[in-house]
Amino acid sequence: MLRAGVDAILYQDSLSSPTDVNDHESEQSLVMQEDRFVLTQASSARYAGPRRTPRKSLIVVLPENHVVSADLVVERLSDEKDSDQVDVILACAGQPSSIAILQRRVRDLQILLAPAGTSGEDLRELAMNQAPGDIVTLLSGTPT
Amino acid sequence: MNLGGAQYSQSGSPRQTASEGLLLSVIVSTLNSKSTLPRVLAAIRGSELPRKSYEIIVVDDASADGSAAIAARYADTVVKLTGHPAGPAYARNRGVELARGEIIAFVDGDVVVRADTLPRLLAVLLERSDIDAVSASRDESAGAPNFVSQYWNILLSFGEQRHSGRCAQFAPGCGVVRRAAFLSAGMYDEWRFDTASMESVELGERLLGAGHGVILSPELTVTHLKEWDFRSVCQEVWRRSRVLARSLGYLRMSAAAPGEVVFTLCRTLIPAVALLGTLLLAAAFVPAPHPSAKFGVALAALLLTNLPVHIFYANTRGFWFAIASAPLHVLAQIVAAMALCSGWILRDVFGDVSPDATTQAYSEVGLEIWPPVPRRP
Repeated sequence: MLRAGVDAILYQDSLSSPTDVNDHESEQSLVMQEDRFVLTQASSARYAGPRRTPRKSLIVVLPENHVVSADLVVERLSDEKDSDQVDVILACAGQPSSIAILQRRVRDLQILLAPAGTSGEDLRELAMNQAPGDIVTLLSGTPT
Repeated sequence: MNLGGAQYSQSGSPRQTASEGLLLSVIVSTLNSKSTLPRVLAAIRGSELPRKSYEIIVVDDASADGSAAIAARYADTVVKLTGHPAGPAYARNRGVELARGEIIAFVDGDVVVRADTLPRLLAVLLERSDIDAVSASRDESAGAPNFVSQYWNILLSFGEQRHSGRCAQFAPGCGVVRRAAFLSAGMYDEWRFDTASMESVELGERLLGAGHGVILSPELTVTHLKEWDFRSVCQEVWRRSRVLARSLGYLRMSAAAPGEVVFTLCRTLIPAVALLGTLLLAAAFVPAPHPSAKFGVALAALLLTNLPVHIFYANTRGFWFAIASAPLHVLAQIVAAMALCSGWILRDVFGDVSPDATTQAYSEVGLEIWPPVPRRP
């Protein structure tokens, strides 16, 4: 369903503390796979073996000219009992203008950058393929 | 429009929804439904309901075709189950555990709702406090154009149309239920039903037994997209009939859910056999008939007892379709009869269905893992 040749870059929030990154017990490297850049982070190693609880991910979808309130994201995260364990992926098309607040307020924010013009549905599918969670919640931004 | 006493407004929105926020959780269980899922989910999103009044939760039952990624294009939440498929009962229960709405809608991964289906189902629950679960029946048009799919859909539709109203026929394709009633009834039986068979009818029967109102609406219909072939229809008839005989009890379910397709197939067999017996007895007093005469008598007996079904086919698809479907119908009846016998024998020899030994052992020790071990009802 995805348009051919969509390039996307997924990277870890640079504000994450070194300790947090070390918690993942994995090396990160940016490699090119099937026409797009992805962050290869052995996040599965972090959860290797049988788990007692489901792994959770939150995908925030921001097509062009859309914004999302950091409060809304934080509120959704706080709904979870173990919000620290939730992987948050921000999937955006083009150059998002107002994600600095979100980066500050959400720990370990991963950002998936897709070319301008990528539709919301394509962003969702792209991010879903990267999300490690067993339960993935998708949150859409609102048009500006 | 009147629907079981509930008035559905033309605006498409039950009155309470707009102001009270999230009301409905739509749970779509899917297994390798990549080809149908976009149409199914787009139809749900096209429902005449305020978007904020419902959430879509897709539970992917360990699909191997990337259904989860497709689901993400439309859904609010996607649950990815791993390992081997655990069945729709298990998947739907996992969805309910995450649901935030007071009313739960179950839609199968190959069922297309109309824009007014969910609002009207919702309207029934909002306006009738004596009803706790209501489901839509299937329309006669199959999503797949081949002959067997048409035959099977019309056959299922025949039973649902004739025995709609208050019954245990909680249709798996599309139905809504109050969350409280669903939980109090013990949710779907994921312990015994590890494949799609009659888990919804069993749930409906439990709901009825607990004093909840369950109705099947003949007015609200949905389209099933699944493509059937000769083999898959025989397998489905075999599976349903065997589960019915082994786990649910034929007589009990016959009274609770008379529209079930197994009863449509088998109900007419008894008079057919009685008629044949009478004719054979009568033949003892006349000179030995020609073999073709015997065959003709047997065929006539079957056609006669199945006359309502054949008339329904003729009215729906025309005379020649009814003629063409008659042999397939006889075959389905034979498969159902054999499966019922097999189910009764299995029940007597081995008892009711239960999961494999590993699952039972995990359940016994109360092991907490994800995905969870199927729970006993």
